[in-house]
Amino acid sequence: MRKSILLMSPAMFMLFAFGIIPLFIMLYYSFLSDGAEASFTLDNYINFFKKAFYLQLTWKTIRMSLIVTFICLLISYPVAYIMAKVIQKGKNLLLLLIIIPFWTSQLVRAYSWMTFLQDGGILDYLLRKLHLIGDGGLGILFTQTAVIISLVHIFFPYMVLTIYMSLEKVDLSLLEASRSLGASSWETFRRIILPLSKPGIITGAILIFVPSLGVFVEPRILGGTEGSVIGTVIEDQFFEIYGWNFGSAIAFILLAMVFLSLWLLSRLTKED
Amino acid sequence: MVKKIASWFYLLIIFLFLYTPIAVLVLMSFNKSQYNTLPFEFSARWYHELFSNTRLIESTFNSIYLALLTGLISVILATCLMLGLSKSKSKLKNWIQSFVVLPLSIPWLIMGLSLLLLLRAVGLDRNFIILLIGHVIVSFPYAVMVLRARMEGMDHFLQEASASLGANDWTTFIRIILPLIFPAILAGGFLAFMISFDNFILSYFLIPMGSSTLPIEIYSSIKFGFTPEINAVSTLILGGTIAILLLIVLLMGQTLKSFMK
Repeated sequence: MRKSILLMSPAMFMLFAFGIIPLFIMLYYSFLSDGAEASFTLDNYINFFKKAFYLQLTWKTIRMSLIVTFICLLISYPVAYIMAKVIQKGKNLLLLLIIIPFWTSQLVRAYSWMTFLQDGGILDYLLRKLHLIGDGGLGILFTQTAVIISLVHIFFPYMVLTIYMSLEKVDLSLLEASRSLGASSWETFRRIILPLSKPGIITGAILIFVPSLGVFVEPRILGGTEGSVIGTVIEDQFFEIYGWNFGSAIAFILLAMVFLSLWLLSRLTKED
Repeated sequence: MVKKIASWFYLLIIFLFLYTPIAVLVLMSFNKSQYNTLPFEFSARWYHELFSNTRLIESTFNSIYLALLTGLISVILATCLMLGLSKSKSKLKNWIQSFVVLPLSIPWLIMGLSLLLLLRAVGLDRNFIILLIGHVIVSFPYAVMVLRARMEGMDHFLQEASASLGANDWTTFIRIILPLIFPAILAGGFLAFMISFDNFILSYFLIPMGSSTLPIEIYSSIKFGFTPEINAVSTLILGGTIAILLLIVLLMGQTLKSFMK
């Protein structure tokens, strides 16, 4: 017994001292007023909820994360379904191909999208060669669309993997039974396949929606002025404006959003 | 048949999307233009210039050094923790298990900034130790997950048999447990290494003044005018990563096979 505590203690110490305590320090700062004589105050939080700018920003961040999660679901489901149920050969190779992009730098990928999407960039060049667009330029870079494209690209492989894993377990004979009892393909999908893959969908949604709330690198690089989200505003507070106390308060609001959505999403799985 | 063709066609489109940025990266690393513009003209110029760009090379080695330390510390911490947990019969066990992976759900932005606030609270400047600690905090839960997956499938009777045959804990660890979990240690360490190697956010907040890692170099290069050497170094790293990944798959395949026999 004592040995097991001894073995666990370095990791636990590390997590407490450098994971939990810093969060409490951040919480403490979020209740401090600015100025030479700092005192306890709720102003940082009140300011956030009083200003339309920050409320709109919060809504914009949530909306962006919802859009990203939804697009990921739409494009991942068919991929996972095809890999689990339609094709017989090459599954492992496809899985490997899905995983490889995980190992490329997030920043370099964002930059590649910049090269690809910019006016006069590759997509612009190709579309103009095909006479699909005029000389006006694409106008995608430095908009929220560019941010969403890059986030979908980063996150959808997670959804493919989680849905694939739950579909893989679905027994083919269930589908045959449903069909032989006269159900149409759509009905089989809606009443058998979809409910059975729900855990995969929800795990995927957790892995995508929650980190999307806190992104700031992609909006910075690809979003221009239109791209600001909670993450970029927190960074601005810390490094441009030096409003550390207010920045801490926003960070805690973000953290609350993260835990709230984690809780809501994991409740969805427990209901069945 | 139609369904199959349609399926493969759909997969093709998705994989095109998935590999677009990588293709752009590799293509542009061989493109003559400094501004990543088409038409494409082959040139190895950026690879030549890469080797004379001491700052970029130095920051790459900083990243490797930091990631090696992070991977090593993470995997040692995670192995000790999981060994302790497997021995423990405490009621807190489930609680501890979810506690240790908690950093996975906290945005790195918040982890980094809270460590920065910790430094301010104790009156220290950014330093290498806190940078390393930050990297370990965000990387080590991944090593824990890999090890947990492996150890959940482990047979407890093997340990009990070893103990009842008179082996002490240390002998049991070296001769029974370690060979069983070694693939997971390797995989978990590699995962932690990669998380750290690619981690921009923690480094950006915690790096000492004047030092730099590869992701920081890339970020400032994107912000203040891009140098195509970045494409070249990223292509080289991508190649290296895929090679290591394949090696691990082969190694783990070998170990798995040797256990099957």
